[in-house]
Amino acid sequence: MTARIRATFEDAGARGWLHAVSLEHPDQSVALDPDVVVPIASVYKLPLLAAFCHLVDAQELNPREQVTLAPEDRIPGPTGLSILQDPVTMSLRDLAVSMMTVSDNAAADALLNRVGVDRLAQLLQSFGLEHTRVRRGAAGNLSELRRRTGASDVDAAFAVLADNDQTDPVGVYDAAGMSASSARDMTTLLASLWSGRLLSEEQTAFAQKVMQQQVFSQRVASGFPYDGVRVAGKTGTFGALRHEVGVVVMPGGDAYAVAVFTHAARGDYRLPRVDAAIGEAARLAIDQLR
Amino acid sequence: MLTERYLQIFVTLADEQHFGDAARVIGITQPPLSQGLRRLEAMVGAKLFERGPGRVELTPAGVALLPYARRALGAIDEFHHAAVAQDPDGLEIRLGLAPEVPASLGAAVAAACGRAVRGSRVTAISAPTSSLVGQVSTGRLAMAVVLHPAVLDGLQAGPVTLLQSWALVPTSLHPDDGQPLSLRKLDGLPVAVRPRAEAPAARDLFLDTLGLHRPGGGTVVVTDDRAALAMAAAGQAIVVTPDDSLQAAGVGRHRLVDDPLPVRLRLVWPQPRTPNALPPEVMAQLAQALAAP
Repeated sequence: MTARIRATFEDAGARGWLHAVSLEHPDQSVALDPDVVVPIASVYKLPLLAAFCHLVDAQELNPREQVTLAPEDRIPGPTGLSILQDPVTMSLRDLAVSMMTVSDNAAADALLNRVGVDRLAQLLQSFGLEHTRVRRGAAGNLSELRRRTGASDVDAAFAVLADNDQTDPVGVYDAAGMSASSARDMTTLLASLWSGRLLSEEQTAFAQKVMQQQVFSQRVASGFPYDGVRVAGKTGTFGALRHEVGVVVMPGGDAYAVAVFTHAARGDYRLPRVDAAIGEAARLAIDQLR
Repeated sequence: MLTERYLQIFVTLADEQHFGDAARVIGITQPPLSQGLRRLEAMVGAKLFERGPGRVELTPAGVALLPYARRALGAIDEFHHAAVAQDPDGLEIRLGLAPEVPASLGAAVAAACGRAVRGSRVTAISAPTSSLVGQVSTGRLAMAVVLHPAVLDGLQAGPVTLLQSWALVPTSLHPDDGQPLSLRKLDGLPVAVRPRAEAPAARDLFLDTLGLHRPGGGTVVVTDDRAALAMAAAGQAIVVTPDDSLQAAGVGRHRLVDDPLPVRLRLVWPQPRTPNALPPEVMAQLAQALAAP
């Protein structure tokens, strides 16, 4: 099976990493280099969500607390608060909704500031995630990208990564400097989120719901073109990196956690073949587990 | 018995601080790496690394022994090089060339190999990019010139070299006037392309760019340049190639306006410390030979 999954990635022109596990039978899994630590891009918002919900359960954070974010305090991004022009006041839990459903960088950055990088690291450790590190949020990643590409702004920096005629600057995809995790760590987190062991009933329901409300369907969900299949996921995209981790629930109720990370050979912003390969690989893995 | 492999595991793990990465650099899988480390630690009588969550760190014993391991490994390397010098046949450098590499450019890289490592024997093979990348990863080839973009998991790679392309157009479609042609106008015949599986990412980039600039006209799959040129001579296809030497009666040679379909090449080679890997400075020199032959 891993040979077929590997061939799917190869055919799409990408390197892939995958881990899929049955939530009912955790001993059954499909794996392709599941313990390699990969930069996870916006997938970091999932562990951040789990930590936020945990702090709400512990009454260390009030989910209804209002935060006002001025445009100049918000970091760039393609969606959500990042693209608005005026000050916005929102509750912490609504920031979490925007962060998960449309991968809002500005909302995630504000939430990360309230959770705190150190407190987040401790929580991830307590969740048993040995390979997962969240660093500095998107703001840090973007300034690091500008430094490494020598570009004046974020758009120019991404244009360097998208150019197929030049070599990627050293270290832009280096797991050491960025938020990173392994495919197995992400399915471990998803499995504990879905089991109800990690969070209260209320927070478990909240976390699952915002993942089901994610608007992007071109990756994992594209592998399951059947209305009866529900997908709750979180994508991550950074240059040539395209990822999604999530839980796929079959019509009968059987649920599977799957984490797919890819690094494409081409730099182009739009690579639908790689998005589709993520769905194809997830489906191949889950079919094997059914 | 203390072997070269144990020293390699010790030094590489200290450099990479990651079991998976270290295994990949050495070209083995993780279980033999972990086993090798355990045996070395048993031999030394001390733990060399702390295996913490997500990280691998040297213990004080590891820090103390690392310089000795580096020195021993260096001495073994020198021994290998000295041994090669004694071999009447010299060091064999196996070079791979993708079929898209123009013959004269492949020859220039091979000649540079011979000059860079004195007394070496250069063997060249020709194979598709996807096959060459695999052969370089396993150390069967010392280096290869491959199409870019390609998935290069863990390989070292030089800069991207762009080669301007020619369109070889049957004179039945356009007179052999040497004028640059717009790709959009060349939709009277299919463009010959090699099989996609040979290099999926580079081929998709070619096809996507072709589709953007030239919505009609289609493509036809050919096995190699010989077949492509034959199709062009028969008035059946247009050939896009960087190769100056490809020519035939009844086929005109034209530049493409704005050169939308350059051939992108890269020299790739294994990580240092892979068996048979050449020194990094030699590889940098050879990457230069591809960039400016």
